[in-house]
Amino acid sequence: MSEPQSGAPARRGLSPGAVTAALVTPAYLWLTVAIFLPLVAMLVFSFLTAAPFGNRAVEFTGAHYLVFYNRPYLVEVALRSLALGAWTTGICALIGLPAALALSRAFRGRTREVLFFLVILPFWTNGLVRVFSWTMVLRENGILDDIVRAFWADAPSIGILYSYPAIVVGLVHAYLPYMILTCYLSVVAIDDEILEAARSLGARAPVVFGKIVLPLAAPGLIAGSVLIFVPVIGSFMEPRILGGTAGVTIGTVIEDQFTQAFNWPLGSALSFIMLAVVLVVFAVFSRALRGRLTLS
Amino acid sequence: MTALGKLFLFAVLGFLYLPVAVLVAMAFNASPLYALPFEFTTHWFEELAGNDKLLAATRNSVLIAILTTVLATVIGALAAIALSRRRFRGRTLLRLLLLPPIAIPWLIIGTAMLVFFFWTGIGRGLHAMVLGHVALAIPYVVLVVGAGLNNTRIDLEEAAMSLGSTPLHAFFAVTLPLLMPSLIAAALFAFAVSLDQFVISYFLATPGVSTLPVEIYTSIRKGFTPEVNAVSSLLLAASMILIIIFARLTKVGGVSGRR
Amino acid sequence: MRTLVDRRRFNLLLGAGVAAGALGTRMPRARAANKITVLNWQGYGTDEAWALKLFAEQTGIEVVHDYFNSEQEMFTKLRTNPGAYDVALINSAWTSRIAEEGLLDPIDFNTVPNSADLDPLLRDSSNFAFDGKPYGVAWVWGMNGLGVRKDKAAGAQSLEVLWSPEAVGRVALYDDAITEVGIAALLFGESINDPKDMKAIVEKLKAMKPNVKLIWSSEDQWNKAFSAGEFDYSIYWSGAAGRSQKTFKLPVEFIVPTEGAIGWLDGLSVPASAPNKAEALSFINYMIDPKFYVQWATEVGAPASANAKAMEELPADDPQKLIHKTEYLKNLQFMSPMPDERRQAFVDAWEEVKAFYAS
Repeated sequence: MSEPQSGAPARRGLSPGAVTAALVTPAYLWLTVAIFLPLVAMLVFSFLTAAPFGNRAVEFTGAHYLVFYNRPYLVEVALRSLALGAWTTGICALIGLPAALALSRAFRGRTREVLFFLVILPFWTNGLVRVFSWTMVLRENGILDDIVRAFWADAPSIGILYSYPAIVVGLVHAYLPYMILTCYLSVVAIDDEILEAARSLGARAPVVFGKIVLPLAAPGLIAGSVLIFVPVIGSFMEPRILGGTAGVTIGTVIEDQFTQAFNWPLGSALSFIMLAVVLVVFAVFSRALRGRLTLS
Repeated sequence: MTALGKLFLFAVLGFLYLPVAVLVAMAFNASPLYALPFEFTTHWFEELAGNDKLLAATRNSVLIAILTTVLATVIGALAAIALSRRRFRGRTLLRLLLLPPIAIPWLIIGTAMLVFFFWTGIGRGLHAMVLGHVALAIPYVVLVVGAGLNNTRIDLEEAAMSLGSTPLHAFFAVTLPLLMPSLIAAALFAFAVSLDQFVISYFLATPGVSTLPVEIYTSIRKGFTPEVNAVSSLLLAASMILIIIFARLTKVGGVSGRR
Repeated sequence: MRTLVDRRRFNLLLGAGVAAGALGTRMPRARAANKITVLNWQGYGTDEAWALKLFAEQTGIEVVHDYFNSEQEMFTKLRTNPGAYDVALINSAWTSRIAEEGLLDPIDFNTVPNSADLDPLLRDSSNFAFDGKPYGVAWVWGMNGLGVRKDKAAGAQSLEVLWSPEAVGRVALYDDAITEVGIAALLFGESINDPKDMKAIVEKLKAMKPNVKLIWSSEDQWNKAFSAGEFDYSIYWSGAAGRSQKTFKLPVEFIVPTEGAIGWLDGLSVPASAPNKAEALSFINYMIDPKFYVQWATEVGAPASANAKAMEELPADDPQKLIHKTEYLKNLQFMSPMPDERRQAFVDAWEEVKAFYAS
């Protein structure tokens, strides 16, 4: 892996370009073999009339990309899925950032380390079993009602199983650790001295938060948002089990195209459309953020 | 303020552990359908002890998860360093390429892998499963480590180098300790991604070889028993014990950052 | 009569001899084989531990499993794993489609002696046929019909009960396009496999909106929700209803509606690429043996056997026997092969209905 020496002042005989290449190649080579090439195959399928197996004739078509035009009811489904992503990400951010601040400011040493692990531990249980546990908590006269009634005996049921909010609860639970930990990684590095200096200069708490904490937490918030928003809009397990009739998302539609209709081309076209939407959302979002959040 | 923060964090932990507590409780509940009222039994643990299939699947899952964690964390961290520390052409593209593995539903990625591995002769088996698991975990590692790297201070590393350290030495002496919290967090996520990964294992495992999530997902058509809760509870207990031992033994302050 | 029997016996011998010869020459690995791989749903008969133990004792053949979670996954696994499977469970609605791709071997019934006892209506079902030859051995059949709570809805007769005012918020539907479209088709007195008016079906299903509480996709989910009292009326699998009664003591009653139920027939097939065909056929023969079926049905709970003799041997009060009456077979409409475009139309219709429920 020796690269011709460039005129730039390179240390130890390796040009910066070669170092960069050496750092990124293993990851992207791995991703290429295991994910990108298979997905390219799927991308090709999405322009065919059927997956190219067996002896039936297959033709090129762009028709699958007109899926939202041909099936107008899917537009609403897609919007609901995006809203689901936005709700889940927003709630995770509202809970996750303060939790990360609390973890990094209110605890020290060993306690903090144990708490850090405790945040991620629920993640190590099986997702499906966790969702079934939520059904027991959220159903009418379920465990949540029991807890409330322990304090207020005649409380009306607040069971929300088989509804849109139930899906949000399940998804927030499934993804919250991402937000807490990415935010934690960002805010743990904030110097106490900076905050104290700001306070001693007379800055009030909201100002300190807006001018210092938020910009420093931004990388964590953004990474957490990516890790939550992106998979949530394609989620299908939580919607199916917790959502009842409300559990129709673009994720379940894609799954049905694969498992029930056996229409890989249509299913993959839908996924690629959603991927494009995700990329656009993030392009717009990061442009908007660039102006606001970076420290200048 | 501190007291309020503590209270808030404990409330969040309460939310995170509510279904986990239910999961563990159901491992000790007599009803195979999670029906209440609660009726204590150790029956499911006894059943589990005789369920070689489920135990073997659990062992496979843990082994693959460990392998995945090591590979994905190392490979992903290297890429994260390049993506957040070095400016080069195509950096934005490489960052965007992290999104498809997260955005495309696992079912489609799994199907695509099955077909592609069949066409190219990679085939099925442990190698194919690890190939898939690591690939799915890499983007998570890159994003998490990247989030941490953005805030570690380049000036310290540069200071070390201006004092005569080699870049490699500066990296090990200064950057790596700063990176430690991110690396641990990333490794924990990679482990979680692999441990819960169902579709890839299910499409790519050799027939007859199974993992815990595969056992669970393929049995829901007919129904899984609280043995699954029992094995999950044991995994959870083992992890907790490991964490406590780890916290007692380490002095480096693994995840606490600089303080 | 005598000549017929003689000819049959002669054919049997001839067939077995030819098969053995062919297998012996073309598949050298077959003789040494002591392990076969079966592709099936998890927990669906072929992987009962006691049965596999017994089979291994009788034949010395070990059976390992690979599973699928939907019919398309079964098809995909067959396509992408040549040589991996010796026996595959295939819903007969798919058999001819898979045979058409050359993925299956035609079945010579002479090599499966127990097939003589199969109900002819099922054994000779046109669903198994492709190019004039059968590609599957009928194994079990069942119905998707009404599964209702005994104290709330016993005595329901018609599918219309799902739309009735007393069922508001108390209905669970099965998340399967073929089934749900078929239910509406039955109400209109049309073919479940080729209904005339899809628009009317969509409207009819949409009208159920206030009644539908949840849409289930696994037996596990149905059992857990039913036992928690979440619904009283449902579209359910006949075999699962017997299991829910027996294993979990759930108060469910399976009803074949006056309009009819949706029949399905599952068969066992041998992939063309199977490395151990003779062993595969002997396993299939064991699977349709009344001895296996009776134990499976009475101890675990199973759909109805395609083997008429096996059904006779069930105890008279067995829930599966009470649910799966042989006389249904004459009028039951079975899920049958359909062109891809029509399958897509079914899924689109059901997707539109679900989107409407969610809105």
